[in-house]
Amino acid sequence: MAENQNINVAAPDTEEKQYSSLRYAWGAFVSFFGFTTKTHRGSKKRARLVADIVTYAVLLFGAFIMIYPFWWMLAGSFAYTDNNGNTQLYTMVWWPLRTTFDNGNRGPFLNYIMVFERGFTGIRQTFWRVLLNNILYSTVPVVVGVITSASAAFSFAKINWIGRNAVFYFLLAAIMVPGPSLMISQYVMYVNLGWTNNGLALIIPGLFGSIMTAFFIRQFLFGLPTSIIEAAKIDGAGYFRIFCGFILPLAMPAIMAQGILSFMGCWNNYMGSFLFVRNTQWYNLPHAVSTMESQSTFASNFAPVIAASVICVLPVMILFGCFQKLIIGSLMLTGSKE
Amino acid sequence: MEEVVINQSEATESAVVTEGVMPPKKQRKPINQQKLQDNLWGWAFCLPLIVGTVWFVYSAFVMALLLSFTNYTLNRGSMTEFLAHFSEHIHPQGAWYWYIDAFTHEIPAVGQAGGNEIGLYLFNTVFYMIGIPIGMVLSMFFAVCMSRDIRGGNLFRVLYYLPVVASTVSVIYTFQILFQDGGVINQLLNIDFRWLAGNDSWNTLLGNDKPGNFMNDPYWCQGFFQKIVVVVMCVWKGLGGTIILYVAGLSGVNESTKEAAQIDGANGWQIFWKVTMPDLYPVIFYNIVTAVIGGMQIYMEPELLFAARAYYTSGYVSLIWGYGIADGQQAHGAALGMILAVIIFILTMFQFYLDSRRKD
Repeated sequence: MAENQNINVAAPDTEEKQYSSLRYAWGAFVSFFGFTTKTHRGSKKRARLVADIVTYAVLLFGAFIMIYPFWWMLAGSFAYTDNNGNTQLYTMVWWPLRTTFDNGNRGPFLNYIMVFERGFTGIRQTFWRVLLNNILYSTVPVVVGVITSASAAFSFAKINWIGRNAVFYFLLAAIMVPGPSLMISQYVMYVNLGWTNNGLALIIPGLFGSIMTAFFIRQFLFGLPTSIIEAAKIDGAGYFRIFCGFILPLAMPAIMAQGILSFMGCWNNYMGSFLFVRNTQWYNLPHAVSTMESQSTFASNFAPVIAASVICVLPVMILFGCFQKLIIGSLMLTGSKE
Repeated sequence: MEEVVINQSEATESAVVTEGVMPPKKQRKPINQQKLQDNLWGWAFCLPLIVGTVWFVYSAFVMALLLSFTNYTLNRGSMTEFLAHFSEHIHPQGAWYWYIDAFTHEIPAVGQAGGNEIGLYLFNTVFYMIGIPIGMVLSMFFAVCMSRDIRGGNLFRVLYYLPVVASTVSVIYTFQILFQDGGVINQLLNIDFRWLAGNDSWNTLLGNDKPGNFMNDPYWCQGFFQKIVVVVMCVWKGLGGTIILYVAGLSGVNESTKEAAQIDGANGWQIFWKVTMPDLYPVIFYNIVTAVIGGMQIYMEPELLFAARAYYTSGYVSLIWGYGIADGQQAHGAALGMILAVIIFILTMFQFYLDSRRKD
């Protein structure tokens, strides 16, 4: 872009001055890539093409680094381990030399079947139980929590009530409190309430909604015209009707994006389960996967652990793939609002 | 209730029509009804979030503060009992016992005198923060590349965001094997280096079997390469989120200012530093503040990759968990948590102070 500015300056020089041949060679070489020097004039189009190619190369390299561990995970989940514990998993780069496809008797998904059958015998649970726990933890609090957050957002954005700003800042101040400082008192609280034995510790706090979600939906609702609500009010709709009939459908993109983001957060919530669930019956998937390592079955055969990791990652990846436009869009909105 | 409001407002409207001038008393009443409705429903819609926040954040915070002055453990009775007889629970050696203990407690380290416990763990936490500037520069670089007018920019954004949504546990298992003795990283660098082996890393690097004094330094040397692995992993995992925010920020940079600078003869580099960066400053500031707050709370990655509560790799939060939950000294853990809250608060305030000085 800036090179073409120099053309006017450089052009008269080329006629008057003599440069060394080395200088000429360098100019010719550089002008091939579109740069203008004192000896040769480059083309703006060429410069742009070269810059595009370089950009693509850099981005592809970065994307490769971002993707590779996932590819490795997928490939590793098919690594075959014989009875002596010989496996290609640790030295595998692209694809294991001996895969579960090669061994006929139990099919290509041997490692996955091992996870399903024996994966969580260490904590005396079946795979399905753990999966069900995880689905429970990442649907009930998320759905209810997003709706309560949206209702709070609605009241902050569209209803005038006494103390609204004070309450808003009071809530906003709560995100300044770091989670780990509350860890112990929350643990004491949950033990006293008996929530650590039945997974309620991961469900009930989520039902009340989250401040960040409410904050984001509030920003979204500011963009909606208030006249809709005024019109609905004149037509005799109460606030509850307005919320269900207008706000929820109109703010659906924001609500969906926040819901999916918090679903992914809850699905991957290792820490919550690790801290607050004392009963192995109620472990969530990441927590259960992290206990696999200590099992003697998998000490010599690590491939099923990698298969379990794939199971952990896959649903979130698929969900993210389906809703990427929505999620990235909402994240970008957060960025531009700051 | 709603019908009442409407009836009354209708009534006033008809009153306006018939009388022409509204008596002030009649006018005020329906507005108060509307205000009452606003207030009632406003509070009602907010109530769940307020209750949740007060319950799980504010009361938990007060509870943690109270706990930190006592020698309470879960065996010593329930929470209600604790609150009712708070004065009996205050630590016999003084209310500040756990705070003083935190700053004076020395632990032995392998082969050396060791050091102050929270000092060692805080050092690890701060060490992991070297990932923040690295991540900032890398994500800015990639964001600038992505915000060029190229095809498939959106696809790259999605690909770079994948590690952010992936489960940390899965990622940790993968990186554990990628950094194994004969793993991908070592094959790529064509070396045989034991990244995850603690002090053995130095031995394979320096070629002697007995660790010397240098390698036994609990701060800088023990677990140095393990910490490097964690930093690499955290940068890899966190890059996508920052990139998205930067791309959003870059798309908001004023195009006409850029063009004006270009006409004035500024080159691309100058435009980036003098026009784009000042416009991007709020996004960068936000990113740094959140990254520092998040970085102080690092916990899972070193714990799962290596040993739990290891003084040479674990972050500070590991101590809170270790004392408060694993050891069952809830009061001790709560006090450590309060110290963390104060540290994070001071760091954040310091950053805002620097920010305000820049504006002057």
